[in-house]
Amino acid sequence: MTPLMEVRNLCVETTQPPIHTLLHPVSFTLHAGRPLTLLGETGSGKSLLAQAVMGTLPPGLRARGDVMVEGRNFLALPARARAKWWGRHFALLPQEPWHALDPTMRIGAQIEEGHRLVAGRSRSAAQHATDQSLMRLGLADCRRHLPQALSGGMAQRAAFAAARTTEAPIVIADEPTKGLDSTRRDEVVTLLREALNERSSLLAITHDIDVARQLGGDIMVVRDGICLEQGEARTVLDAPRSEYAKRLIAADPRHWPAPASPAPASAQPVIEGRTLRMKRGNRVLFSNLSLTLSPGEIVGLTGPSGCGKSTLGDILLGIITPDEGHVHRARGHAPLRFQKLYQDPPAAFAPHWTLHTLLEDLCARHRLDRGRIPLLMTRLGLHARLLQRQPGQLSGGELQRFSILRALLLEPVFLFADEPTSRLDPITQQDTLALLTDVAREHDCAVLLVSHDPALITASCDRQVVLSG
Amino acid sequence: MTTTATHHRIPLLRLRVPLPRARMAGALLLALLIAFGWLVPLWHDVSPHHQDLMHTLTPPGAEHLLGTDPLGRSMLGRLTEAVRLSLGLALLSVASAAVPGVVFGVIAGWRPGLVDRSLGLVADVVLALPGLLLVLLLAAIAPGTFWSLYVGIALVLWVEYFRVVRTATRTLISAPQVQCARMLGFGPGYIFRRHLWPELAPEVTTLAAFGASTAVLAVSSLGFVSIGLRPPTAELGLMMTELFPFYQEAPWLLAQPVIMLFLMVLSFQLLAGREPQ
Amino acid sequence: MPPLAMSLLQRVCQAGLVAWVVGTLTFVLTRTLPGDMAYRIAAGRYGHEQVTAAAAEAVRAELALEGSAVQAYLQWFGDLARGDLGRSLVSGQPVAGELQHLLGHSAQLAGVAIVMALLIGVPFGLASGLSRHRLLDRLGLALAVAMRSLPPFVIGLGLIMLFSITLGWLPAAGSGHLTHLWLPAMALALGLAAVSSRVTHHAMARVAASPFYAFARQKGLSARQALYRHGLRNVSVPVVAYLGVQLIYLMEGVVVIESLFAWPGIGHALVHAVVARDVPMIQGTALVLGLGFVLLNALVDLACRGLDPLRQTS
Repeated sequence: MTPLMEVRNLCVETTQPPIHTLLHPVSFTLHAGRPLTLLGETGSGKSLLAQAVMGTLPPGLRARGDVMVEGRNFLALPARARAKWWGRHFALLPQEPWHALDPTMRIGAQIEEGHRLVAGRSRSAAQHATDQSLMRLGLADCRRHLPQALSGGMAQRAAFAAARTTEAPIVIADEPTKGLDSTRRDEVVTLLREALNERSSLLAITHDIDVARQLGGDIMVVRDGICLEQGEARTVLDAPRSEYAKRLIAADPRHWPAPASPAPASAQPVIEGRTLRMKRGNRVLFSNLSLTLSPGEIVGLTGPSGCGKSTLGDILLGIITPDEGHVHRARGHAPLRFQKLYQDPPAAFAPHWTLHTLLEDLCARHRLDRGRIPLLMTRLGLHARLLQRQPGQLSGGELQRFSILRALLLEPVFLFADEPTSRLDPITQQDTLALLTDVAREHDCAVLLVSHDPALITASCDRQVVLSG
Repeated sequence: MTTTATHHRIPLLRLRVPLPRARMAGALLLALLIAFGWLVPLWHDVSPHHQDLMHTLTPPGAEHLLGTDPLGRSMLGRLTEAVRLSLGLALLSVASAAVPGVVFGVIAGWRPGLVDRSLGLVADVVLALPGLLLVLLLAAIAPGTFWSLYVGIALVLWVEYFRVVRTATRTLISAPQVQCARMLGFGPGYIFRRHLWPELAPEVTTLAAFGASTAVLAVSSLGFVSIGLRPPTAELGLMMTELFPFYQEAPWLLAQPVIMLFLMVLSFQLLAGREPQ
Repeated sequence: MPPLAMSLLQRVCQAGLVAWVVGTLTFVLTRTLPGDMAYRIAAGRYGHEQVTAAAAEAVRAELALEGSAVQAYLQWFGDLARGDLGRSLVSGQPVAGELQHLLGHSAQLAGVAIVMALLIGVPFGLASGLSRHRLLDRLGLALAVAMRSLPPFVIGLGLIMLFSITLGWLPAAGSGHLTHLWLPAMALALGLAAVSSRVTHHAMARVAASPFYAFARQKGLSARQALYRHGLRNVSVPVVAYLGVQLIYLMEGVVVIESLFAWPGIGHALVHAVVARDVPMIQGTALVLGLGFVLLNALVDLACRGLDPLRQTS
């Protein structure tokens, strides 16, 4: 069988001296019906590979090597000629479909223009083809909708229809499941698998091990612009050879070690919500909801997006008042000892000051013992020189550990952790979450941990609460 | 010569980032204009109002560095007075617009309520008309007076600070960083100092620069159509009207206030550091 | 309430505010007129020789210079509400009639200026926004900063010196012939074009860098098809919306430019009225300028709504 695309020694480097190589030479072959998945963290250079193949690298970067398609070296073609292959030989599924659709044009028109202008169909044939594809993708009602009226999953399907008006044989999907919850993610994978047949194939780029597993075919693991290993999906995922691939796969919450045996529930709960009820607009988020947390207990909170997980936590913290019911806190704890960890660590710090200044402010405000800062920093694996930096100059994982430190300085009895690791890479996520649960248990602090990933909750919590939405 | 890198840091102003070149140029130009307006008269004391009908329309020379106008008055003296007047009025009205604008903007953005609604109404009233029209009507009530121009311009400028600061405050107050600071036990003073002001300050200084250029343009526009300040005051717009009839005899005279006005507005435009939105 | 009705209602309220502000300020103006104002106005109207106590009394009555302030204020707005703008103190003609005549000239000048500005600014902005050459961007920026640093009347002076005095191609002042329109319209248009070109530049650059524009190319559309189908509409929304901001420049420019070129429009009449302290005329002209401002803003709102389907649904 002749391959659809053969990539030989493809690398990406800067055009201006000093020349940096951002993607080291990789070679692979894409066969019809057999997907290839690039797996790696953000910043690993995997998106550069997709751009290099398509010929859409940003100015200042250039690709070298061969991309052989239909017996011609696509990379050697001039830019103008390459653009003519887009949509005809290559179909690119964009990273964020919501932003990839023209916000001012109706969905039907955005698909139809491809059938007419790219595939060269007559107006009526294009209309017919548009209706067909919308119907097949379950979007029949959305023909006259604007992209903003679509959900993330629907937008992904619409973009898919718009990109494949000519049934281009090579489908490139760059992080197609970014920002989708697990149900939507599975839908997209199903959609992508439909593109696989005897004439076409898929090059998928993802950080999500589950997506790689579901797609099957071949896998390449990329880190820092270097391809660490490649091979059949099942082999790589079940028996990784490179150190990094082992860690990456172990960082999947499903492979995490079982949590420590739950702390014995003490008689005195530290915080308790009784018969809570909350509405948003006309929708009841939850009603008659009661929950208690004991000292040192890690409780998971899951549910689909928009089901009121954050709202529940904010009610417990007293930031929001519930429509009905009330929150009871154990006696003798200052309000300061009930704290929150935020989803986006940089958003929880004043951006213009060094961490030293911010921690110093906190110690001065509450007359805290400054001597605990170095001890806690050691415990959390934070280097002392980070104190002199501003929040924006730290990585997300480091900053989230600083917010844990900041909360610990106040000797908390309850922490509401609102998806504290969802913006972190898998390995950092595992490390950060392990630290959080460990120090919370050490300090006898109760934690309400929100996540949209049930596996993560199962792996790190003593028990869990599920909101159905 | 070896020098250690300075990165244009001005420790006094606590500027962390190096000033972009355009802003530096604007600041330098403004400093030169201030020096021209206030320092030149110190060593070259010529009255802007002293008429010498024996020496009218003289070209620039040793006796009169910038020449004389049709009434024989020293152009150097008149230009320095005009620069002092425009810059003084601009800085005064910007200061009196910025301070209440920022204070009320923060209050209104922080706690929506009576202050927000009543000041919002005042802002709507001011914005109902193009700014210059309002200044013009106020100037008509007390023709030729400095204070009517000042009140009108400050009234128009005030709204801009109020609206921008109010919107920014509203967004920031509901942002996680401020919610988090409250949970950590910090009060409004601290939140203003560490969270709000660092975000507001660059916007306020940019508005101040644009406001100053608006003020300079408004004064000269009204002067030009003879509803602003009255002769014999030396004011750039007024001077242009007075000198335009003599353009063919003495083109250098008309060029002087034009160049001065251009440089003054340019310095503020550069100082703003970005394009208006 | 549907958003369209909402925005129109807002504009109606703004129109009410304009009437109130203009009415109140001109009312204050009548109360601050010096004591012998009635005589001076009467002198202006009938000539110095014919000023009689009776004529001065007529002026007094017309302006309601006597009586309690509150009563006079109510009467003032009563007249305004009935559309009675009074008679000009200088010419003695009804203000409303004069305004009709003036408005035509101003509308002509403003309309030509806007069209010229868009014809110059938008293509330049599109080209510089699409081009990857930094030079064009820098050049556009430098020109725009320079134009913003020159008020319209200075641009007007420059145009007169160049085209009327030096080259002798176009008349410097007056009206009645098409050639009289070129210079004042150009003086207004150049400043507007500088701003339009920058707004267009930024909008085009933002659209060209947007994921949806990249996707349009990647799904197979040519550069030209992507520009026509996905570029222009998305660029036009901010460009038209910014016209609302530029209206302020236009209105302020009209007042000064008409005076410079002796163009017989509203702005020119307003300046004359202020100098002559012709209160009813000040009120009438300021009112028309203010209401014109509101009306044009409402048209910009409608245009934005027509161009941007997002605003129709939200």
